[in-house]
Amino acid sequence: MVEGEENEMLEFLGIDDVEELFKDIPDQIRTDLDIPEGLQEKELMSEVKSKLKKNKDPDELVSFLGAGIYEHFIPAAVDEIAGQSEFYTSYTPYQAEISQGMLQALFEYQSIIAELTGLGAVNTSMYDHPTALAEAVLMSARIKRKGNKFLVPENTHWENDSVLKNYLRGKDIKLEKVNYGEDGAIDREDLKEKLDDDVLGIYVATPNIFGGLEQDVDFFKDLKEDYGCIQVVGTNPLVLSLMRPPGEWGADIVVGDSQPLGIPQAYGGPTVGIFACSERYIRKMPGRIIGETEDSNGKRAYCMTLQTREQHIRRERATSNICTNQALMALASASYVFLKGSKGLEKIAKENYRKAHKTAERINELDGFEAPYFNNEFFNEFTVKTPVDTKELYGLCREKDILPGLPLDDKDKFSSLNDVMLTAVTEMRSEREVEQLIRSLEEVV
Amino acid sequence: MTPNYRQARYDEELLIEKAEKREVEDNPLPESIARNEAPKIPDLPTHKIVRYFNRLSHMNYGIDTGFYPLGSCTMKYNPKYTEKLASLPEATTPHPYQPEECSQGILEIMWELQQLLADLGGMDSVSLQPAAGAHGEITGLMIAHQYHKDRGEERNEVIMPDTAHGTNPASVSMLGYDLVEIPSKNGCVDLEALEEAAGEDTAAFMITNPNTLGLFETDACQMAEIVHDAGGLLYYDGANLNAIMGKTTPGAMNFDIMHFNLHKTFSTPHGGGGPGSGPVGVTEKVSSYLPVPVVKEEDGKYKFDYDLENSIGRVKGFYGNWLVLLKAYVYILHEGKNGLESATERAVLNSNYLRKKLEKHLDLPYGELRKHEFVLSGKKMKDKDLKTKDLAKRLLDYGYHAPTIYFPQLVDEALMIEPTETESKETLDGFAEAISSIMEEEKELIEEAPKNTAVGRVDETKAIRDSVLSYMMRE
Ligand SMILES: Cc1ncc(COP(=O)(O)O)c(C=O)c1O
Repeated sequence: MVEGEENEMLEFLGIDDVEELFKDIPDQIRTDLDIPEGLQEKELMSEVKSKLKKNKDPDELVSFLGAGIYEHFIPAAVDEIAGQSEFYTSYTPYQAEISQGMLQALFEYQSIIAELTGLGAVNTSMYDHPTALAEAVLMSARIKRKGNKFLVPENTHWENDSVLKNYLRGKDIKLEKVNYGEDGAIDREDLKEKLDDDVLGIYVATPNIFGGLEQDVDFFKDLKEDYGCIQVVGTNPLVLSLMRPPGEWGADIVVGDSQPLGIPQAYGGPTVGIFACSERYIRKMPGRIIGETEDSNGKRAYCMTLQTREQHIRRERATSNICTNQALMALASASYVFLKGSKGLEKIAKENYRKAHKTAERINELDGFEAPYFNNEFFNEFTVKTPVDTKELYGLCREKDILPGLPLDDKDKFSSLNDVMLTAVTEMRSEREVEQLIRSLEEVV
Repeated sequence: MTPNYRQARYDEELLIEKAEKREVEDNPLPESIARNEAPKIPDLPTHKIVRYFNRLSHMNYGIDTGFYPLGSCTMKYNPKYTEKLASLPEATTPHPYQPEECSQGILEIMWELQQLLADLGGMDSVSLQPAAGAHGEITGLMIAHQYHKDRGEERNEVIMPDTAHGTNPASVSMLGYDLVEIPSKNGCVDLEALEEAAGEDTAAFMITNPNTLGLFETDACQMAEIVHDAGGLLYYDGANLNAIMGKTTPGAMNFDIMHFNLHKTFSTPHGGGGPGSGPVGVTEKVSSYLPVPVVKEEDGKYKFDYDLENSIGRVKGFYGNWLVLLKAYVYILHEGKNGLESATERAVLNSNYLRKKLEKHLDLPYGELRKHEFVLSGKKMKDKDLKTKDLAKRLLDYGYHAPTIYFPQLVDEALMIEPTETESKETLDGFAEAISSIMEEEKELIEEAPKNTAVGRVDETKAIRDSVLSYMMRE
């Protein structure tokens, strides 16, 4: 701060004390802060570092946890790119001419997600997967004015479920559960039974919360043709480098999280909620959207578009309230995808598949274990039936610095799935670490 | 004064255009779901991609480039130490479901942040889950919804003044409430209108204070009384907290629920649109309704509490945007009591200084004294048959990001200016000089602006008409 400039400014305003600028705040509501004095940068660095060191050293933990957040390798260039301060210190690109960099990068992100999902219309992000799902259900109701039921399978992530319920609490949309079958995938008979004229849409998660993939996707395509309900598909973008894009088999809206594409686990956030939909519904979409256009000289340019859907213009009739989103993470994700390239992505996806299947086989050979517990095709995550209580097993493995998988038989998860855990294996897990897991599972029982 | 800003100007084709068709080989997935054709993404050398994004960044303007007086957005300088700390592996690598005993550092920081924010807002407890301000708003309304429901009351209206930010009315209708918008009087809430609107249907009343005109709503306590008497709850939109830290709190104004915009007041970078963080604070009256989990402390150990009696459940996956929370925590620790108080003082000083400098050139409706921001009217531009938008575009040529324009709607041709505390007098003087200079310029110069940016004026109408939202949609 320049010495004395505050005095010059006060003088210019014709006042002696900055307090005069607060004279409109009535005395009876004046308060003081009760927080500590500030720290210098040097002290601050060591103070916060020492706090963070109270976490278990991440290098000492071997984790097989997934359930929505996955450990993947992130090339150094991703951090470097997303760390450019012209990107990260900018606001939402309201002034297109001076924000072409961010706009073009976000258009690349939208284009990548379109390629992966098979749906052309993509926004720059929702907060995360659960909120993207909630927005998708609300959008389904905007598209389909008739009907007030939305079908959600039981094999949905408990967090998606809880968030969705909250978003619908004031709306006339009823969530109805569809069972899963013996393979953990959607029970198609039950689904068909529940499909009536009141159903405005269905949610299909593939991979589902058990890691399983829906295999008869043409069933959903036919279903849509027969019943005309809106189909929302939840997925993992990494599997989409190997899997038929949902846009090809009937999805109207695809949601998910781009975290597996170059975003650190970061204790669950920030990530990137994916939202893609069929081109015919662009005017019903939530969120920021970047469009391609030209400048006054006919040069290609980008800008935020279809803004009349949005809160700052349409207010109470906006398609959503979202304003700040997860744009920088979308940019990071786009840079990750380009750095890997289509061949690189495919290679990583195959490695995930191979390692997870290998690990499941090894676990399945162990006495008393069953993997996958739900006998279904999977990508990089699968269920394991354990011969002892999952929490006990988890605790014992933890002592050996191994996190073998997430117990699913919690009261707020799937309490009926006794002794079942969810195990994820990404390209990060070495053969040696898988052996460590196998050995500790053996020792535990 | 001549506009001497020069932004880089590259003709960079999209990378995605460079992709070629390719088949997936040896797909391990079953045939029914196996992709035959690989997604069209190019395979390029790393340095090419780094250069591409580097060049894109040169065609972008951030706070690190220059003055960014976007009203309502609190674009203050983002300290670099927060970035450094938030990139440590201890912060970035933990899995959200790893055992609490492995995450004690994170949980301690989250717990402390809950306490710090509670104090800053005059609230009793805080949830760190919401990912942004608007997300905090809808969370607050969910809390109000459950609160009334538990009392067996069906209240279907939410009241707010016409100065409210767009996210407020959008949050209200997203949750199925009816909006009751009351007209302002002299730029502030009209107590009589509020009295008339409040009643047995009132679920909540929402405002930000200072409001979006930058005026402090001195009658906040009376509003609280009116709404409470009608049985409703009061929601404080914390987007403008930068104007009152250390001076007053929403709690002191008798508000029940509020959100904080950590990406505004607490200087976490805005990331070109996000991520942000919008923690929600509540007074004891509705504490038990917060989303779960919240962090609690027990004998020096930190853990998640999932057992809040009336909790609405979750509003987001996991625990909020942790890395953003960490940055805000670090900022608060660095500033401390005095730093935050003087941030507010300097923000308000800067705002009033710039207001006084600019009111010579543009109209200032609704009185003098402002808090951290002020709203001018660009209707003088009409003399030249121009608009506020033209003025905004011309400012870019001078190397300034434009203010927020056309909001609040109450002001004709609005320019909403928030300088923040981190700008020097010299910067403010330069900006004022630029405005003064533009006001003297020939119409053509302004109309054809910007000239010094990566591209000329962007055709937004064509963007809507063509609706090309991805490379796939380009014909
Ligand atoms: C007054 C006000 N309220 C609410 C919001 C919404 O906050 P966010 O963008 O974090 O969702 C903003 C952001 O611009 C704002 O200025």
